Amino acid sequence: MKCHVPGPNVKVLGRTIHALARFGDELYLESLPDSILLRTLNAAESAYAMIKFNKNFFSHFNYNFYSTEDNEGLKCKISMKSALNAFKSPTHMDKQVENLEIKLDPESSKLIFQLKCKHGIVKTYYVSILDCKAMQAVYTKDLVPNRIISSPRILSEALGNFQISDDQVTLEATNQSLILRNYVDANIDLTKIIRTQISLKPSEFDSYTIGDETTITFTLKEFRALLAFTEALNLPLQLHFETTGRPAVFIVHNGTTFEAHFVLATSKPDSATQASTQNSSRTDKKRKEVNNPVGSAKKKPHLDIDISKCLDEDSHLFNYIDIPEEMDLRPIKVTIDGNSGDKANDPEENMNFDIPGSPTSRIKIKSVFKRCFENTFDPRSIERIVLAENSDSD
Amino acid sequence: MDSGKALYGLLKAIQFQECAVFCAMSEGLKLTVEEGKCVQASAYVPADNFTEYHVREDVDVMFKPQSVHNVMTDCEISTQTADSVLELRDEDASEVAKLVLKASAFLGLLVDLERSCDVMELNLSPDHPNVSIVTYGMQDRSCIEVPKSSDMMQSFSCEQAVSLKYQLPHIRLIMKALAISSKVVLRCSSNGLLLLQLKLEKDDQRQMFSEFHIVPLLDDY
Repeated sequence: MKCHVPGPNVKVLGRTIHALARFGDELYLESLPDSILLRTLNAAESAYAMIKFNKNFFSHFNYNFYSTEDNEGLKCKISMKSALNAFKSPTHMDKQVENLEIKLDPESSKLIFQLKCKHGIVKTYYVSILDCKAMQAVYTKDLVPNRIISSPRILSEALGNFQISDDQVTLEATNQSLILRNYVDANIDLTKIIRTQISLKPSEFDSYTIGDETTITFTLKEFRALLAFTEALNLPLQLHFETTGRPAVFIVHNGTTFEAHFVLATSKPDSATQASTQNSSRTDKKRKEVNNPVGSAKKKPHLDIDISKCLDEDSHLFNYIDIPEEMDLRPIKVTIDGNSGDKANDPEENMNFDIPGSPTSRIKIKSVFKRCFENTFDPRSIERIVLAENSDSD
Repeated sequence: MDSGKALYGLLKAIQFQECAVFCAMSEGLKLTVEEGKCVQASAYVPADNFTEYHVREDVDVMFKPQSVHNVMTDCEISTQTADSVLELRDEDASEVAKLVLKASAFLGLLVDLERSCDVMELNLSPDHPNVSIVTYGMQDRSCIEVPKSSDMMQSFSCEQAVSLKYQLPHIRLIMKALAISSKVVLRCSSNGLLLLQLKLEKDDQRQMFSEFHIVPLLDDY
């Protein structure tokens, strides 16, 4: 594969790499006969990004430059750090770089970025290829009931009100309004945090269709990254989502040259109403489950099963670790488990009555393992921990 | 001296060691700092920069190059007996290459070098590309090539190809000085010693200079 990127597009490519770097530590590149795909997945596998550059993004595009017989297209995985190295400052890139050549030789172990800059300077980066596999996530973006098209500015202005320490955001989508609020972890002391809630009217958006009113929670870090990317390119952002537990897909495209998909895993918000159902523990599992709805396919075959399950039954992961029947026999405390205020103020009780197998956060995981060394050791709790680990070990 | 601002900037740029050797000569002032006998940096202020300049005796003193000026401040700097300055220049070694570059463009290249690298390889050759800077990262290699036709290269002379390696942290020491300078002369001698002479132009058309000697890394062979 060999292609040339003209100066102005190098800036776009640079911004793309920087946006992807906010998602994952590894960059997957795949060349197809008519396009190049860049993908990344975060370490927790809760966020995935895919950006497709069509043939006309490039000034020269030869997918089969080295004329191999293999028609599958070349794939490679490189470290994100190396990629960033070649695109140090995307904002100034268009002023300095005249042309970028990307070469991928099936025989070689290096991916070559060659930047032809002003003053006749040529910078060449030989980036080591770590792997020759591709990775792809399975998700549906069409046929989803909820679709919003928004200018990224509205959303980023709304997010500007959140604290930097907030790491997840809850989106409550109804036909009347879209409410954004920071997700409050169940075991954080409520006296120490700020709750932020912003309501946006449907008229603020370019298009607003909510077929199935729902509430989803996803990570803020990646959301901020993709918004910054969209804003820099001044393109509208499409948001496609279904319901809790199914991935939310963010799409940015300029029609002809490139298309970006950002997929974020969603989880259920913490609220008393939901917690009062039998599956109260679901809300608690957020941190762990978040890892799963989006999975990599080819890279890890066993994940395929997870994904297909995920598609077959609605958020099967929640059901999978669903607490056995005896759940209902436990004290009332459990049923108000989702009510964060109660728990946060009462760490002692939390230890005694909390559901052992479904930690919300690492802090809680620690407390769960601590139980193993206590007198009130419950063998069932061990069982559940194992269950949880199985689902997470991929 | 009219304004200490430019002098302050120059001294700041070479301030990577606590102590400097101060040498007053009839032509001007020279301050020298050394880092581990590998890098030697000097700031040279010609006498015409001063409105009044008298040198009574040729003594070396040592002092700390701290904030040097203030409008009406008497600044007393305690002096120590000077250590001898390392003579890095070898009279026998001939000069193999001399480049005159625009300081800002050269700084731009150095800024882009990977931070995690320790070693920088400088290749100079009479053939195209005339200058190439190669850095080796953890797994990656990157290479910057500059032909002599480039705008940033004001003069280039090199008779035969040379390849020299330097510690990148040493090279980075010159970046502060590059930022305030307008022009840089890069000389390589046959023993590998890299000499960079930087010219700083003041608003009043007078000039000050700084000079860096950098010792090369020798190959294992």
